[in-house]
Amino acid sequence: MPKIFFREALARAMGEEMARDPRVILLGQDIGAHGGSYAEPRGPFERFGPLRVRDTPVAEAVTVGLAAGAAVAGLRPLAFITYLDFLMLGLDPLVNYAAKLKFKSAGQLAAPLVVKTTAGAKGQGPTHAQSLEPWLMNVPGLTVLAPSTAGDAYGLLKTALRSPGPVVYIDHKRLFPRGGEVPDEEYLIPVGSAAVRREGKDVTLVSHSYMSVVTLEAAELLAAQGITAEVIDLRSLWPIDWETLSTSCGRTGHALFVEEGQPVCGVAAELAFVLRERLPELRVARLGARRAPVSASPVLEAFVLPDAPRIVEAARQLLKQKVSQGEQK
Amino acid sequence: MIRRLVVPAELGADEVRLLLWYKAEGDAIAADEALLEFETDKAIVLVTAQQGGTVRRCFCAAGEWLKTGDVAAWISDDPSEPLPDDRNAMLEGLAAGFEQT
Repeated sequence: MPKIFFREALARAMGEEMARDPRVILLGQDIGAHGGSYAEPRGPFERFGPLRVRDTPVAEAVTVGLAAGAAVAGLRPLAFITYLDFLMLGLDPLVNYAAKLKFKSAGQLAAPLVVKTTAGAKGQGPTHAQSLEPWLMNVPGLTVLAPSTAGDAYGLLKTALRSPGPVVYIDHKRLFPRGGEVPDEEYLIPVGSAAVRREGKDVTLVSHSYMSVVTLEAAELLAAQGITAEVIDLRSLWPIDWETLSTSCGRTGHALFVEEGQPVCGVAAELAFVLRERLPELRVARLGARRAPVSASPVLEAFVLPDAPRIVEAARQLLKQKVSQGEQK
Repeated sequence: MIRRLVVPAELGADEVRLLLWYKAEGDAIAADEALLEFETDKAIVLVTAQQGGTVRRCFCAAGEWLKTGDVAAWISDDPSEPLPDDRNAMLEGLAAGFEQT
């Protein structure tokens, strides 16, 4: 299977979808001749030109508003918002308009736009590094996707560009410097489909985006200590693949949810609650960022975020509770 | 002396793709001559040797991938110096330039 850069997987997905459907256009800051913050729209710009790959001003409300309006009028815009932190400025057209439209119009109108952005910390400091995915999961009508591999990025972005309603597609900045294997043949990954990255029987570790990479490292460390962890990469934050989660958690009886963002009202809070409703015996724990903004200092950035040793410790604590309460394995 | 060229972490990439070699094993290389080109997620990087010598080993072919910290090549002062068996043998680092475009 050929190995390509993460940005090349995105460029291929955008290029194929633009060739397939003339309604697909790209909008965003510096995505034209400059080539984009992560160089991923460079190929589509060279191929399709400035009419379909359009630079926008540094005005996120305008970019998302334009995309939402163009979507209702019949196009399929992909709006680039460089950092998820700045999607705050575009939330009004996304949340109040695009996400509500099919409900308000009794299904007569649709806003098939995709907002593509990046979350997560990689040295950019407090206002360019947040993981605000739960804000978006909270909104009825939004689909939220967040891959952790180049192959999933390709398949999910293509799905997003064919999706009927507004989608927020989120990359992590630490995924770009990595290569990944992407099959030559075309494929789509459906929304609401998680991936089991590693099989295990003692504990289920659930995460998404770059934290899936870190969680896999932790699973390797746990294996060296005789604990086998099943690692689930959510891929789709809304809708959630409850089936895959329930099956794994039902088998292991223990679930540790790992997220890079704040755990208060976070991804883990939602997942653990619903899974406990389904599996009342399930033991759950969560690990997220410490309650402080992400720092521009590499030392403080690392201190705030979950890492493999903290995941290992949290998993061991979760399994220890079982022993201290005198239960049989 | 045998010197090794290592993919530097300072480029900010986790992995790089080797694009082409300007030299083959056995070729002489002069100071400031181009040795190879690789690609990061953001840039094409032209690597020049800042010390002359003989290219003794090229550990990766064009199109293949290297991780940060991997040894890409060995260059020796004397063309017949015996080489270590292990690619990861601790050797002096080659002084090299990394020009990003």
